[in-house]
Amino acid sequence: MTANLLVLCAAGMLVTAYLMVGQKALFTTIRLYGVQSALLAVVAATNAFSEGRSELFVTAALTVTLKGLLIPWFLMKVIDRIGIHREIEPFLNVPASLLVCLGLTVVGYRVSTGFPEGARGASHHVIGVALSMLLIGLFLMVTRKKAITQILALLTVENAVFLVAVGVTSGMPFIVEFGISFDVILAVLVLGILVQRIVGRFESMDVSRLSKLKG
Amino acid sequence: MPLLVWTLVFPLVTAGIGGIGGPRALRESIMIGGLTVTFALSLAVAGQFLAGATPAAFGDALRVDGLSALVLVLCAFVGLISGIYGVGYLRRNEDRGLITMRMRREFFGLMPAFVFAILLVSMSNNLGILWIAVELTTLASVFFVTFHDRDTSLEAAWKFLMLGSLGLAFALLGTVLLFASGQGHLGEGVGALNWTRLMQAAPIMHPFTLRLGVVFALIGYGTKAGLAPMHTWKPDAYGEAPSPAGVLMAVGMLNAALYCVLRIHIISSAALGPAFSGGLLLTLGLLSVLVATPFILIQWNLKRLLAYSSIEHVGIMAIGFGFGAKTGVFGALLHMTYHTLAKPVSFFSAGTLAQLHSSSNFDRIGNGTFTRAPIASGLFVLSAVMITGSPPFGLFFSEMTILRAGFVGSHVAATSTFLAALIVLFCGFAYQVGRLVLGPPRDPADRRVPQPERFDLGTWTSIVAAAIAMVSAFYLPGPLLALIRAATDVVWGGA
Repeated sequence: MTANLLVLCAAGMLVTAYLMVGQKALFTTIRLYGVQSALLAVVAATNAFSEGRSELFVTAALTVTLKGLLIPWFLMKVIDRIGIHREIEPFLNVPASLLVCLGLTVVGYRVSTGFPEGARGASHHVIGVALSMLLIGLFLMVTRKKAITQILALLTVENAVFLVAVGVTSGMPFIVEFGISFDVILAVLVLGILVQRIVGRFESMDVSRLSKLKG
Repeated sequence: MPLLVWTLVFPLVTAGIGGIGGPRALRESIMIGGLTVTFALSLAVAGQFLAGATPAAFGDALRVDGLSALVLVLCAFVGLISGIYGVGYLRRNEDRGLITMRMRREFFGLMPAFVFAILLVSMSNNLGILWIAVELTTLASVFFVTFHDRDTSLEAAWKFLMLGSLGLAFALLGTVLLFASGQGHLGEGVGALNWTRLMQAAPIMHPFTLRLGVVFALIGYGTKAGLAPMHTWKPDAYGEAPSPAGVLMAVGMLNAALYCVLRIHIISSAALGPAFSGGLLLTLGLLSVLVATPFILIQWNLKRLLAYSSIEHVGIMAIGFGFGAKTGVFGALLHMTYHTLAKPVSFFSAGTLAQLHSSSNFDRIGNGTFTRAPIASGLFVLSAVMITGSPPFGLFFSEMTILRAGFVGSHVAATSTFLAALIVLFCGFAYQVGRLVLGPPRDPADRRVPQPERFDLGTWTSIVAAAIAMVSAFYLPGPLLALIRAATDVVWGGA
C-alpha cells in the first residue's frame, strides 16, 4: 500500500516535470512546481509513516509550506509586479523537447539500477524518477530564456535532489534539512530581487539578452 | 563558549551592526575592529590546535583540525586586510559622491557576513553545515557583484547566482549520495553527516553510490572554486565586484571552496584510493590552467585578467592535490598560502588603478599608468611578478614543489603540459602588465582626466599587504609552516 503510494507520487512528480517542459504559460508552470513540491511532501510523509520516522513528518510539513505554497506565491507576486505573463519561447520546440526528456528518463532509470536499493521495488522507481527529474531540470535550464523559468528549472533540480534523499536514505538529519530549506528560500528571494532589477533595467526578463560580457 | 564559536560570533555581530547604520566613522571602526578581533581569535584557535588540542563545538559539527586551522587563519587574514582596504576604497568613492545609502549598508553589512560564511566553511566538520555555509557565501557575495548597478553587473550576478546554485545543487546531491553510501554505519542525528564519521565508515561504503556522490560533490564544489569548465561565472563576477569584495571572492571563497573539494577528496581517497578523485582533480586542474592561458593573452579588462589568473591558480592547486603524492599536497597547500598572501596586492593595486580611471577596461585606462599612479602601478608590477610564480617569491617555490611531485610521480605528460602552460602564462601576464604600466603617457588632449593618486588608507593597506607578501617569501613564520604540515597530514593521511 505505502509502496504503491510512493510510486504513484514519484510518477506524479515526473509527470509535472514533463508538463513543465510542455507548458508555455508562466503561471501554470509555477502552479505545476507547487504541485510537484506537494507530491514530494506526500512521498516524505509516506516514508515517515511506513518507517516510523517522525522527523520526516516535519520535513513533509516544511516542504509543503515552503516549496508548495510560499515559493510559488512569491514567484507569482514577482510576475505580477513586473507584469510579464507572456508565453515562453524556448530554444527548442515542445515536441522535440519532450522527445529529449524521454531519452533523459531512460538514462535516469538506467543509472538508478546501480544503487543497492535499486533491487527493491518502490525505491528503484523513486531513484529512477529523481535522476530523470534532475536531468529534465538541467535540460529546462539550458533551453529556456525567461529568468523565472530558469529559476523554476533550478528548483526542479533541487526537488529532484530531495527526492533522491528520500529515496536512498532514510532522511537527512533534521537540522541540516532545515538549514538547507532556509538557504533555498533565501536564494529564491535573492533571485526574485535580481529578476526585478533585470526587468527594471532591460524591460524584459529574457536572459539570453544578457550576453555583453565576453572574453 | 569555546573560542572557535566566538570567532564566528564576532563577524556576525559586526555584520549586524554594520547593516543597521550609524555615522561613518563609527561604522568604519566597528568593521575594522570586528575583523581585527576575528583574525586574532582565529590565530588563538590555531594556537590551541598547535598546542595539541582539537577545538570543537556543537557535537563535533565544528571541528578544527590541521586543514581547518590553515584555511581558517588564511581566510581570517584576507578578511581583515580586505576589510581595511575596503574602508579606504569606499572613502575614495565617498569623496567623489558615488556612494549611496544602499551601497553603504550593503558594504558594511555584507563584508563581515561574507567573512562569517567563509570562516564557517573552514571550520565545518559536518557535510550538511558545510553545504549551508557555502550557500551562504554565495548569497552574501551576490550583492557585491551588483554593487555598482550597471547593466553588466546584473548580467554577471545572474550568471554567478544561477551557476553557483546549480553547482550547489550538485554538491547537495553529492552529499546525499555520500550519506547514503555509508548508511547504517554513520549513526543517528546531525553527527551522522560528520566528516570524521564518514572517514571511519569510508572502507565499508557502498562503492557505486560513493563514486557517484564523489563525482557530483567534486563538480559542485569545483564550480564554486572556479575550476574549468565550470569557471565561466568567475571573470564576470570578479570584473563587476568592487576590489575589496573581489579579494574575498578570489582568495577567501576560493580557499573555502577548495576546502570542501579536499574534504570530499580525502573521503574518496580513504575509500577508493587516491587515484579516483585525484585523477578527476588533475584533469580539472590541467583544464583550468589551459583554459586560462588564451584568455590572459587576449584580455581587455584588468579585473577579468585577475579572474583568469585566479582560475589558473586554483587549477595549479588542483593539479598539486591530484598528483597523488605527499610532496604534491604539500606544494599545493604552500601554493594556497602564498596565493592568499600575494593575490590581495594585485586586487588592491588594480582596484586603485581602476578607481583612478573610473574603469577597469584597458582601453579606458590607457598606457603608461606609471607616470600617473606610480605607487599603484609599482605594486601591480610587483604583484604580477609574485603571482606569475617568478623567483625569488613564494609561488615560485610552491610551483616547483608541485612540478617536482609530478615528474617524480611519473605524470610526465601532464606535468610537461602544465609547465608549458605556466611559461606561456608568464609571458602573457608580462605582456599585459607591460602595456598597462609602461608606454607613452596619456595624450594631453585626452579629456578623461584620471584622479590623482594619494597616500590614503587604501594605498597604505596595499603597501603593507605587499610587504607581508614579500617578506613571507623569505621568512614563513614557524607556526604557519607547522599548520601547512599539519594540513598536509590531514589531506594525505586522513588524520
